[in-house]
Amino acid sequence: MSIRMLNPNAEVLNKSAALHMNINAAKGLQDVLKSNLGPKGTIKMLVGGAGDIKLTKDGNTLLKEMQIQNPTAIMIARTATAQDDISGDGTTSTVIFIGELMKQSERYIDEGMHPRVLVDGFEIAKRATLQFLEKFKTVVVMGNEPDKEILKMVARTTLRTKLYEALADQLTDIVVNAVLCIRNPEEAIDLFMVEIMHMRHKFDVDTRLVEGLVLDHGSRHPDMKRRAENCYILTCNVSLEYEKSEVNAGFFYSNAEQREAMVAAERRQVDERVNKIIELKNKVCSGNDNNFVVINQKGIDPPSLDLLARAGIIALRRAKRRNMERLVLACGGEAVNSVDDLTPDSLGWAGLVYEHILGEEKYTFVENVKNPYSCTILIKGPNDHTIAQIKDAVRDGLRAVKNTIEDESVVLGAGAFEVAARQYLINEVKKTVQGRAQLGVEAFANALLVVPKTLAENSGLDTQDVIIALTGAHDQGNVVGLNQHTGEPIDPQMEGIFDNYSVKRQIINSGPVIASQLLLVDEVIRAGRNMRKPN
Amino acid sequence: MKEIVTVQVGGFANFVGSHFWNFQDELLGLASDPSGDSVFKNNALNMDVLYRTGETQQGTLTYTPRLLSVNFQGSLGSMSSFGTLYNEVASTPPDVLTWTGNVSTHASEPRRRNLFLQRLYEEERDSLTQENAINGGRNKPQREIKDEDIVEFLENGVQYWTDFSKVHYHPQSLYEMSGLWMGAQEFDSYGIGRDTSWALREEISERLRFFVEECDHIQGFQFIVNDSGGFSSVSADFLENIADEYTNTPVLLYAVKDPGSHMIPKSQKQVVSKNLHDAVSFSRLSSFCKLIVPVGLPSLSRSKASTFLCIEDEKPYHCSAVYASALHTISLPFRMEPLGPSADSCYVSGAVDIHGVVEILSGQARQNRVIILDVAMPAPSLTGKQVEQSFLGNLQTLTPEISEDVEDLQAVESMTIHGALGSGGRRAPISEVKDMVRAAYENVMTKPRFCNLSVALCPLPIPLPFPKIFGNLVSQHGELLGSPVVDSPLRGSLDVHSIPLAARLRSSSAVLPFLENRLGNIRRLGIQQGAAGAEIVRYWGYGKDELEDMGETLSKMVLELDPYSQMSSDSD
Repeated sequence: MSIRMLNPNAEVLNKSAALHMNINAAKGLQDVLKSNLGPKGTIKMLVGGAGDIKLTKDGNTLLKEMQIQNPTAIMIARTATAQDDISGDGTTSTVIFIGELMKQSERYIDEGMHPRVLVDGFEIAKRATLQFLEKFKTVVVMGNEPDKEILKMVARTTLRTKLYEALADQLTDIVVNAVLCIRNPEEAIDLFMVEIMHMRHKFDVDTRLVEGLVLDHGSRHPDMKRRAENCYILTCNVSLEYEKSEVNAGFFYSNAEQREAMVAAERRQVDERVNKIIELKNKVCSGNDNNFVVINQKGIDPPSLDLLARAGIIALRRAKRRNMERLVLACGGEAVNSVDDLTPDSLGWAGLVYEHILGEEKYTFVENVKNPYSCTILIKGPNDHTIAQIKDAVRDGLRAVKNTIEDESVVLGAGAFEVAARQYLINEVKKTVQGRAQLGVEAFANALLVVPKTLAENSGLDTQDVIIALTGAHDQGNVVGLNQHTGEPIDPQMEGIFDNYSVKRQIINSGPVIASQLLLVDEVIRAGRNMRKPN
Repeated sequence: MKEIVTVQVGGFANFVGSHFWNFQDELLGLASDPSGDSVFKNNALNMDVLYRTGETQQGTLTYTPRLLSVNFQGSLGSMSSFGTLYNEVASTPPDVLTWTGNVSTHASEPRRRNLFLQRLYEEERDSLTQENAINGGRNKPQREIKDEDIVEFLENGVQYWTDFSKVHYHPQSLYEMSGLWMGAQEFDSYGIGRDTSWALREEISERLRFFVEECDHIQGFQFIVNDSGGFSSVSADFLENIADEYTNTPVLLYAVKDPGSHMIPKSQKQVVSKNLHDAVSFSRLSSFCKLIVPVGLPSLSRSKASTFLCIEDEKPYHCSAVYASALHTISLPFRMEPLGPSADSCYVSGAVDIHGVVEILSGQARQNRVIILDVAMPAPSLTGKQVEQSFLGNLQTLTPEISEDVEDLQAVESMTIHGALGSGGRRAPISEVKDMVRAAYENVMTKPRFCNLSVALCPLPIPLPFPKIFGNLVSQHGELLGSPVVDSPLRGSLDVHSIPLAARLRSSSAVLPFLENRLGNIRRLGIQQGAAGAEIVRYWGYGKDELEDMGETLSKMVLELDPYSQMSSDSD
């Protein structure tokens, strides 16, 4: 209470009030996200005050859209979105797991148990669960030719929780092929090399994989071709506009002729650069009917565009920085920073380059490339919120495939792991623990069941029946998950339901950490504002 | 034609921007109004410099500001971030095409359009129906909402900057930062802005690229940043990115401060934090732009700049109107067509682009980047002999913490006057204004080393959503009357239709106190052994080295203006 002497305005919540504030916040957040989980969950449509629509079934997106104010809830939300940043999925699971840990703890604390004891139990249970996960996981050896079927199963498991089945299945092939396209066994997978592009198209929900690149801009000259086959691609970062202004020179000229001369002299330098590109074009395209495309990260001004157009070159300016890297991976060649070292070797190749125009939006497709290490997933949807939702799902799918390749293992899904881990904790670990920390292990074990329970609840099944059926099957030595349609136990292996190993590990790791921190809070102090009243 | 891309970051910056775009919209409207004043019809200002032409998927042509506005999620009030041009707003929630399971809808209370926005909306609808039924009765549709009510409402009811905006924006223009989990009150520390996610920054840069790619020959960026709280550090990172990506494109940066941020802090800690913020923020922002213009007085209402105005300091709607007027005036020369050194049109004179202004102000004797903004609102009429004596005295500063009456022989200025009135209330021709200014400079004791003058005939149009801030000495066309108009003490957009305005950018050693305060604070509170703010700065994520670098930058800026400064060398 010494804080009161230091600052009379400070608000202090004592031990039990502080704890309950935390528990209630965690439970509240759990309630909001719970209905998201699994392929039978509820999609949420958020309509803003100005009529803006957001559509999401992704816990991560939902958390970011909610304007959370409660400090405890913010702490949990940060952990959960960090989960997403690290492993790409599992936000909803993290939140409901933390919520459940707090809920289970509440029972014991209300009976007078010290949070410290529970937290010790959590720690033991966490370590045991992680060890168990190592034994439980299914190892998938990747090698040079990854098993496409297992990748598809993991991707499908994720995507079906975000999109309806037919669309999810269509995307499954796309994300797996996209990741395999950019994969280079010697290097880590950089998902940025998969460009995700979208187009607004009335009445049409369609997504396809473009082996090559789609750019969101077009050439800026009316005489440049809209479609060209057999193209050399020059990827460059060279300014083709002259940047000195007339006014700058204004101090040095006194009549119109001098001014013209100044402008011409400055102009010449830019023209020389353009001419070097044209020379290269003439060198590689003479005697054949191949085409030449310049994609530049810097600007190209109208006179330069004019020169290029007259030479039959298609030119795009101000390409995304990241596209410089992608282009080279997709088409070959190298990105040049100066026109002085231009050689035919620095050119890439694409079989087809064409422009697509929708209103003021232009798209340039660079397709039919040889041996690409970069590709584009093109999403079409009738409106922005549909596109945004598919985009989120695609990102999650890509991450799931990447994780599988990097983990070289997967975990049986549909709640199978959670039930198995719970039985392991209760039947084996708990006995080895001395004293009251046993109860912490028990709380942790029961909290794990929140995943199958929520899956059952979202499918409209009776949670008690489901848990009894599942634990029963596990005790007989069968590893089973939940059939969302019937409530019967199923074998996830047979159904092809697999989760990411790293996602699971991350949830087990971070959930108890944050729950323990929240449980050990014994005083909440906030100077100057009343936290019981909404402000 | 050389394009400008405008960027507005933060709450108050968007207030200023909203007024700025209202002026542009008013100019466009008056130019196409057949019954309008001829001075607006031939204004010889190229609006394409600030606007872009586009086309919706339905094939409708659009003309929207070339603007990127960054703000909080929820700061757009009743306006949708997609605008209304490119989206027809569906009345019923659309079907969910991606999910066959359950759907739960969480709708926020729809924000009601205020009186003004309702009127805009109705007018738009009426004009559409009128187009459909040509010759179908030309009688003006009955307006249910009166102008007076709107002006009255806006005086007290403005909450968001969109509340008084009459401009259509492009869907790429309005960017809302989501997932910050905090309101404007919490986003008040420099460090918080540094925590914003990297994905967010990438998205902002992408939006900017959209507008730059369209430009055939960009002349520069006009960047308005809210210089308080996290937005400053978001902007600094953004500017760093711009400097990297568009190296040779100059940035003209206005660091605006809303009067609320000048409030007297409650505790010692807040004082330290605020002073450090000002120093760190300024040092970072100034290092990524060609010119930085600090704008925003602690009390605009009591400053000399509002001699003929009645400002209520606590209303951002009021203060931003004054700052936006000055910004508008400064931007005029950027839109004039250059005609060569000797030729002059009778509408405008003195075209100069952003690059030119940078050259004039910081490219000559001194490489000073910190510029003072002065304004005369409204500009006095050019009648009588004494105006030559007093004209320059009417220009009052909007930049805080500068010293008055500094004799600086090295000063460089760039002045813009538009819509100046001559004798008898007629508009003074360009040549008359130029002669007058020349004479005025002859009359001052210390002349600046160089002064660039731009003149336009077209005054500042006052749009309907403009606050009632004119005193009763200002007439309908902005003339300063000898005796007050009796009927009302405050005059707004219904009484004053346009005003002449003069604004000036000034590179002068008068800005030294501003710099020295910041340099002093960074040394005293940040760098010194046992400094009071060392902890805060560390929390913001800056090490001692970085802080020393900032101090170094600031002391170089001081040295540039005052080679014999005591501040520059002391290190106690």
